[in-house]
Amino acid sequence: MSRVISLTRRDLLGLFVSPVAWVIIFVFLLVMGLTFHLSLLGVDGDLRQLVAATYGGLVFWFMMLVIPPLVAMRALAEERRLGSLEMLMTTGVSDAAVVIAKWLATWVFFLFLWICLLPLWALLSTVGQVDLGALFSAHLGVALVGAGFCSTGILASAVTSHPLASAALAIALNMGLFLIHWLRFLYQPGDLQLRWIDHFSAVHHLGDELTRGIFDLRIPVWWGTFTILMLFVTTKVLERRRW
Amino acid sequence: MIEVESLSMSFGTRRALEAISFQVPAGSVTGFLGPNGAGKTTTLRVLTTWLLPDPGTVTLVVDGVDLLRQPQQACRRIGSVPELAPMPSELRVVEYLQFRARLKGISHSKISTELQRVLEEVDASEVLRRRIGTLSQGYRQRVSLADALIGNPPVLLLDEPTRGLDPRQVTHFRQLVDRLRGDHTILLSSHVLGEVEQICDRICMISEGRVCLEEDRGAWTERLATAGSIRLEVAGVVESIEKELATIAGVREVMADGSGWLIRSDTDVRQQIGTMARQKGWTLLELRRDPATLESLFLQLTVSGVAS
Repeated sequence: MSRVISLTRRDLLGLFVSPVAWVIIFVFLLVMGLTFHLSLLGVDGDLRQLVAATYGGLVFWFMMLVIPPLVAMRALAEERRLGSLEMLMTTGVSDAAVVIAKWLATWVFFLFLWICLLPLWALLSTVGQVDLGALFSAHLGVALVGAGFCSTGILASAVTSHPLASAALAIALNMGLFLIHWLRFLYQPGDLQLRWIDHFSAVHHLGDELTRGIFDLRIPVWWGTFTILMLFVTTKVLERRRW
Repeated sequence: MIEVESLSMSFGTRRALEAISFQVPAGSVTGFLGPNGAGKTTTLRVLTTWLLPDPGTVTLVVDGVDLLRQPQQACRRIGSVPELAPMPSELRVVEYLQFRARLKGISHSKISTELQRVLEEVDASEVLRRRIGTLSQGYRQRVSLADALIGNPPVLLLDEPTRGLDPRQVTHFRQLVDRLRGDHTILLSSHVLGEVEQICDRICMISEGRVCLEEDRGAWTERLATAGSIRLEVAGVVESIEKELATIAGVREVMADGSGWLIRSDTDVRQQIGTMARQKGWTLLELRRDPATLESLFLQLTVSGVAS
């Protein structure tokens, strides 16, 4: 466990000294700040609608789909390319510990971005009544879906040695989880199929339920399982590519 | 001790190692030699558990731990200096070594003592607070060596450890290896044959993925002594001198060499040549023994690929 913490701290430090990370932080805050402002104008003063308006639009989903792969793209791919992965993995640290630490660092960085938006909500709550329940569950949703999207980013980073290829692959995977939601519009699925589509749909979990303050235990179970599965596959990929 | 038996390794269809076997006795310093592409780095990477050998590899034991069955336990007994050790340039030396110490399971309370010890060992205490990105190649190499020494592992695998060091640092490195000898089993891959000749107790030479020589110092010194040549030059033109010299017991080969001849023999035959010259009335201009060097042995074995 202490090795996982050491590795996570090291990776987080590596992220915060990388110029790419600061570009991501800048763009994220700029775009989400604008989205927040436009949503505020759009809900016409009804602050109860603001959470769903901010955490459900296309810009929000763009951030959700693209940011984790960009943060995770260097995690394993860059280390392998530079040769530092070999030095890391020949110290007796298990493959699983390395994968968990890389994912954890990516996820913590991703959460940091969203935490940076909280002062906006705090400021707003001084002048009106924000739906705190919906805000909390929306952030829980961001954390859960983000954990899943970060895990696909780490998996893609294990598959290739090129960070940009890794980011492209992870965005494609995340996009798949996003687009599943719209299968219902391509044909007329039956009730059972519709339930399966909803199970796999990130939009359904986060956009339709959590941002409206509806908490269903199946959502954390689904995203937790998905994240663990992705990390397990990443460990196997790493083992295979290494040996 | 390191025991390797029938180690094979392939990359796709290319065989990098062909069932090589060798031993590094406990406490010894073994030079691992071979031309580029011979398989030295691949062997070291298998020993650090980074690469899994082909099925059929019989034994891979490091300090009594089976590397194939317990890779994590085995690599905790190994300190390695890779050929090109990439280190995070943004970190200070102390931060990097603290991180490495934590990964190697050194307890928090012992880390600073351990870092002080390894940095003193490699004579790099003065760069403790410097950023790795600002270090010279020599210091980077020493930091990498300090990293390998963290936790006092019984086995050290050093891949070109003196690359980038200046002559003073190379001398210091030799002294360091001398201090480590006995307590550590060291496998040292190097192209600097003079260095290997000076510091190694044993050599293992590989070529094209096969071991072509594995000998301790006594055996290779004797091999060099007998593998030398004798140079002879006499005044005037002497008919059939090559045939005459070939009749001397122990002479293997006589070759013309400019104005004289090179004689290869199993023993030192200078006395017999001198006697023959006196009997035949040759006027000796030169009769000199040129001992073989590790370099000439290296060139001979790695070209032919087979130990005589």
